Amino acid sequence: MNARESVLAAVRRGVRRTAAHPGPHLVPSLDAGFDAFAARLAGAGGEARLVARAALAREVETLASAWADGGRVVAEPSAAAELAGASFEIARDADPASYADVAVAIARGAVGVAENGAVAVLGADAPHRSLLFLAERVLLLLDADAIVGDLHTGLRALPEDALRHHHVTWIAGPSKSADIEQALVFGAHGPRALVVFVVA
Amino acid sequence: VLDRGARRAAKATRVGRAISIAAFDERARANLANDAAVARHDAAAWSLRAKRDAAARDVPDFEALRTRAAAIKDHVLDHLDGYLERFEERAVAAGAVVHWAPDARAACEIVERVLREGGATRVAKSKSMLTEECGLNAWLEARGFEVIDTDLGERIVQLGHEPPSHLIVPAIHRTRAEIAALFERTMGAPPGETDPDRLMRLARADLRARFLAAEAGITGANFAVADSGSLVLVTNEGNADLGTSLPPLHVACVGIEKLVPTLDDAGVFLRLLARSATGQPISAYTTILTGPRPGGALHVVLVDNGRSRLLASDTHRRALRCIRCGACLNTCPVYRRAGGHAYGTPVAGPIGAVLAPAHPSASANALPYASSLCGSCTAVCPVKIDLHEQLLAWRREAPALPPSMARAARLAAAVFARPRLYRAAARVARLAWPLIGRRSARNPAAAWLASRELPQHPGESFRTRWLRARGAPR
Repeated sequence: MNARESVLAAVRRGVRRTAAHPGPHLVPSLDAGFDAFAARLAGAGGEARLVARAALAREVETLASAWADGGRVVAEPSAAAELAGASFEIARDADPASYADVAVAIARGAVGVAENGAVAVLGADAPHRSLLFLAERVLLLLDADAIVGDLHTGLRALPEDALRHHHVTWIAGPSKSADIEQALVFGAHGPRALVVFVVA
Repeated sequence: VLDRGARRAAKATRVGRAISIAAFDERARANLANDAAVARHDAAAWSLRAKRDAAARDVPDFEALRTRAAAIKDHVLDHLDGYLERFEERAVAAGAVVHWAPDARAACEIVERVLREGGATRVAKSKSMLTEECGLNAWLEARGFEVIDTDLGERIVQLGHEPPSHLIVPAIHRTRAEIAALFERTMGAPPGETDPDRLMRLARADLRARFLAAEAGITGANFAVADSGSLVLVTNEGNADLGTSLPPLHVACVGIEKLVPTLDDAGVFLRLLARSATGQPISAYTTILTGPRPGGALHVVLVDNGRSRLLASDTHRRALRCIRCGACLNTCPVYRRAGGHAYGTPVAGPIGAVLAPAHPSASANALPYASSLCGSCTAVCPVKIDLHEQLLAWRREAPALPPSMARAARLAAAVFARPRLYRAAARVARLAWPLIGRRSARNPAAAWLASRELPQHPGESFRTRWLRARGAPR
């Protein structure tokens, strides 16, 4: 008997086939407003800024260049497409290590969740995944009407083909650790700061 | 005959060594000798418990989530073979290679083979309790691989050549001064640098170079989604994301109990996990990976290692619901004082004591006695494992009391079964109370009292009060 069959045979000796699936969780109605989202994101060490569509490119460019201080600012193509007029490097290199020295990364988020401040970044929108974790700081773009109250609704709001791409990454604030005497520090490996531009 | 690597792996995980209550006692006592360290550890764990409570109160449906999470896990465990096959089919369709490991040794051999075939010798590893359980690091290091733990807490214990002492906070037993000294010795940190932010930066710079040089990333998985063949990885640091996006080869070691039917089901657990672990509403990064990264390879190793034995037990299968959040450790009065290393197992605390006796080699495992059976663990468990009942059940199934304690237990049982004898003994005990609690070497209970205080007794028995109250006029 090969390993697969031996594991499955051992499992079959233990299964009872009685417990039914309880069905989907009945979601409570939670606040799905910008303020609730912004408060949770702040609690996770990030920041949400409400911005008008017309001002988006300018605001993003201003913050990115202030943060970058001459360093590399790299946008995923999906985000760059809606930042017309702003001058960024657009991510094209397939080598994930090529983003090791990036100061600011910019990507589009698909869904925001108010109960925890998390934003889903889709593989389709961010194919250069290492960029999101190597950059010193990250800027995400999110539509105001893409904010939902709870994570269940957020997962159900992902596009149908989301799992046909390599990744979906929920990001709630910058990289963090409390492994040294429970002292919270930001930038444990990846971004030290995260700002979500919520486009109204 | 075990070769050198297997012996080291066995040593690292304590596999094959029965854990006696005396061994637990000895290690716990060593920890208790340092009052300040005990107080600090106690406070650190309890602060996580307090954050968990606040986070649980913060959502209206926390208790409903616990009930549903338990029900989903029970359903999965009851149909685990089908979900494993479904996961395999979907993961393979997404481009992954799926391997099956009946035990720890098979898991280590598979990972070694996959790394060799991928030409990888430098490995960036993310936190995974399963690989701790399997002794994977020791196995690979003995065979010439460089395995770097990349979670900051895991890196601290790796540099200190010690096992993690907590599920979520591996170096919870270490002070910043100790970590500073360790970093000075191993990473050339400036002497006296104890600032957590600057210490973290040193580790970050060191690990960044290793991430970029790594030829493979090894991770665990918090959940494996049967419906899509996806893996869900949860971290606060983003280390699992660097470890799976930079090297071309990703090896994920997944316990067979990690299956969930759908991503929707994973949502129930994700809303519970971080709240129960650290009091966060969600961790910084929750990554859903389906198939290998473009141009890369993904190998998933499904590991049994005793889980199917637990599954076959009507009592103990519930332990397989565990999502490794650490809430039962943080609340446990024994864990908080004894420290994680006292357990001598990859997983410490109540859940560790429940999982350990199930291991084939642990016939005389006494960890279920390292509990006051207060039930606090059961009260906080996000998947409603009846932990203290499990501990009691193990005591019945595999008694492991030393002879002196077994004699005392038999004596107590005889007294409890005879009401008049019990009342007489209780009268004597009330009179002798100050003597029983006296801290003197001549006191036969001296060893027991060394780390305990006798409570005040109320002066009279409940029975006396009851009879008086019943006889009293209204």
